[in-house]
Amino acid sequence: MLPHRSRLAVLVFLTPPLLLYGVAVLLPIVQSLVLSFFSWDGLSDMEFVGLANYTRMLTGDAVFWRAFGNALGYLAICLVLQVGGALVVASLLASLRRGREVIKTLYLLPAVISTVAIAFLFQRIYSIDPAGLLNQALAAVGLGGWQRPWLSDVHTVLAAVSAPEGWRFVGLYTIIIYAALLAVPRELEEAARLDGASSWQVFAHIRFPYIRPVFATTTIMAATYALRGFDIPYLLTNGGPGQSSELITTYMYKTAFTSTDYGYASTISVFIVVECLVAVGLILLVLRRKAHR
Amino acid sequence: MKKMLTAAVAAITAAALAGCGGGGGGDAANVNPAGKVEPRRISWLLSRPANGTVITVMRQLADEYAKSHPGFSLNLITTPDRPSFIQKYETLAAANKLPDLFDTDATPFAQKLARQGRMLDAGKLLTSLGLYTSYRKSALDYQRFDDGSLYTIPFEYQMEFFWYNKALFKRAGVKVPASLDDMPATCAALRRAGVTPIALDGQDQWPLERYVAYQPFRVAGPGYLGKLKRNDAKFGDPAGQKAANWLGALGAAKCFPDGFSAKGYTDAQNLFTSGGAAMYNIGTWELSSLATTKLNPAVRADVDYFTLPTVPNSVTAPNEFVTSSGIGMAVNAKTFDPLVRDFLKFALAKYPAAYAATGALSPTANVKTTIPSDATPLYRRAVDQANSVGTKLAMPWDTQLDPTTNTRLQQELVLLVQGDIKPGDFTRTMDAALAQNAPKFFTK
Repeated sequence: MLPHRSRLAVLVFLTPPLLLYGVAVLLPIVQSLVLSFFSWDGLSDMEFVGLANYTRMLTGDAVFWRAFGNALGYLAICLVLQVGGALVVASLLASLRRGREVIKTLYLLPAVISTVAIAFLFQRIYSIDPAGLLNQALAAVGLGGWQRPWLSDVHTVLAAVSAPEGWRFVGLYTIIIYAALLAVPRELEEAARLDGASSWQVFAHIRFPYIRPVFATTTIMAATYALRGFDIPYLLTNGGPGQSSELITTYMYKTAFTSTDYGYASTISVFIVVECLVAVGLILLVLRRKAHR
Repeated sequence: MKKMLTAAVAAITAAALAGCGGGGGGDAANVNPAGKVEPRRISWLLSRPANGTVITVMRQLADEYAKSHPGFSLNLITTPDRPSFIQKYETLAAANKLPDLFDTDATPFAQKLARQGRMLDAGKLLTSLGLYTSYRKSALDYQRFDDGSLYTIPFEYQMEFFWYNKALFKRAGVKVPASLDDMPATCAALRRAGVTPIALDGQDQWPLERYVAYQPFRVAGPGYLGKLKRNDAKFGDPAGQKAANWLGALGAAKCFPDGFSAKGYTDAQNLFTSGGAAMYNIGTWELSSLATTKLNPAVRADVDYFTLPTVPNSVTAPNEFVTSSGIGMAVNAKTFDPLVRDFLKFALAKYPAAYAATGALSPTANVKTTIPSDATPLYRRAVDQANSVGTKLAMPWDTQLDPTTNTRLQQELVLLVQGDIKPGDFTRTMDAALAQNAPKFFTK
C-alpha cells in the first residue's frame, strides 16, 4: 500500500497523460461509434439511421467482405514474415559469434526508410516492363516463365503489397526477440545439451517457453499494425486491380473521403477497433493455453 | 504513414465535431457587397502543380495588387496530389471552414455546396465584372452543373489528343485509325511489330476512364452520360455495351503496356517520348513536353497527333472531343467581401494575357497564345485547333458520376481491360453500383 503522499504523486503524474490519451484516442473512438449510427455526407444534416450502417456492412456489402478477406491474408503474410522471420533471424543471430551488430543494423534499416520511398522501391522491384529486380532474378535462374506484373496480377497482388510491410519491420521485431533470447539462462541450455537435447529441442523446450511473454507482445504488436495496415497497399495499388488488394482500412478511407459517406466509414472504423481487440484476445488466448500445457 | 490513417479517422471526427452539416452559407447571389475594400490576407485552397503556370501567374498578379493595397496577401494552400486535396477540401467543407477561394470540379459534392449557398454564383460575378463574354463558351460549359448554373471560374483551356509516333506506325504498316472501331486492329498490328501500342498511366485511373467515355460520346452523344449518372440510362444500354465490348477488345489486343495499372504518369510519358509506345492520349497541358525542342530528338520529327476518331453513324462531329477548362475556382459566399471582389476584378482581367504569354491556352477568347521560341510546328497547329472545336463536349466521366460509382468504375475498368472479367460482368456490376449510389447524389 502506497503512503498517502505517494498515491497523490502517482495521481498527479498519471492524470495528464491519461487525459491526453482520453482526448487523442478514446474520444475519437467514441465519436466514431456515435457517428456510425448516422448517415452523413459532411454537408447535409446528420440523419439517425440506427443499425442500418451495421446491417449494410455485415449483410449487404460484398466489397467490405472482400476487403476483410484480403485483410486477413495481409495479416497472415505480415505475421509470417515479421514474427516468424524475426524469430528465425534472432535465433541465428544468437548463435553468431561475430558480425551481429552489422547484421542487426542491416535488418533494422528498412524500418527507418520512409513509406513513400519503400513503395517507390517496390514498384520498381515488381515492374515487368522494364523488368524489375524480381523479374530479372527469375529470368537469371531460369524461371523466366514465372515473370509477371506482380502488382497488376489479381492472383499475386495481395502477397506483393504485403511483402514490403513484412520486410520493413522484420528488423525491429528481430531486435526485440533477440534481446529476449539473450536473457535465456545459458546453464539451462547447457544442461539440456548435456542430457542429449537437439538444437530444435533446446529451442522448443527451453528458449521459446522462456521468451513466450516477449513473443506474445511482439505478435500482438505485429498483428495490430498489420490489421491497421494502410500506407504501402494504398501507395502501391490503391486497393487494385479491382478490389484484389483492398484492405478494410483503404476501403474505409475511400468511403469517407471519396464517397463522403462519413457515417458508414465510421461503422467500418468501429469494426477495425473491434477486429484489433478480438485479434489481441485470440493471440493471448492461444499463447496462454500453450503455456499451461 | 500509419499517421495518415489516424489523421483520416481524426479528420472524420473533427469534421463531425466542427460541422455537423448544413448551413454556413452567405448570399450566393450578392456579387457586389457593400462596404470598403479593407486589405487582409485571403486564402486559396488549390489542386494545381505548385510551380505550374496558373499559380505562378496568379502569384505575380497578387504581388502586383499588394503594391497598391498594403496589407493584402494571397495565401496559396497547395496540396501535393489530388486525393490529399480532396480529403482536405471535403473535411474543410464538412467543418464549414473553407477558405475564401477553393478549387473544385463541378462534381455532385460541389453541387451540394452550391445548393447550400456556400459558393458564389460565378456566372453573376463574371457578368458583374464585365468578363463573362470574354470566356470561351466551352470553357464555361465545362464548369457548369447539369442545370446550367455556373459556380466555378476556369483558369485554363485544354484539348485532349492522341499523340502518335509516325515511324512506329509505319514500321507496323498501320495508318491513323479512321474509326474507334479500328483501334483494336491497329493495336494488334503494332504488337506484332514489337511495339507497345498505347502508353497509359494506370495508377491515376482517370486516363483509362477517358476510354470508357469515347464510344458512348460518338454513338449517343453527351446526353447518354447525363442520363447514366442519374441512373436514367444503363451500362447495359447499347452505348454502354459498345463501350464495354470495345474496352474488352482493346484489352484483348493488348493495346496497353503489361502491368499498366501500376504505371504512373511519368512512366507513361517516358514510354512515349522514348519511342517505346506508338500512341499517348494526353492533353495540351503537355505541349511543352511534346511539341518543343525539349522532346527527345530521336522521336521529335516523328511525333504528330490526331483527334478522337469517330465511328460509323457518329452523332458527334470529328471536331468534338474532350476539351476541358480544368478544375475551377469557387468563391466562398460566406467570406466574400469587397476586397475579394476587388482582387478578383483586378486579377481576372489581367490573367488571360499573362497566362497566354507563357504559351498556354487561355480560357478566354480575347487573347492570343504566344508560341514559345523552342516550339516545333506541331505546337502552333495544336493551339490553332482550339479555334475550330465544335460545340458538344466529351466530358470526363470522373467529374460527372457520383464518387462511389466512379470508384467502382475505375476498379472494374482495369479488370475488364486486363481480361479478368467479361464485358457482361462489367455491365452487371456497374449497373448495380449505379442503382445503389446514384440516387444518393442526384435527386430526380
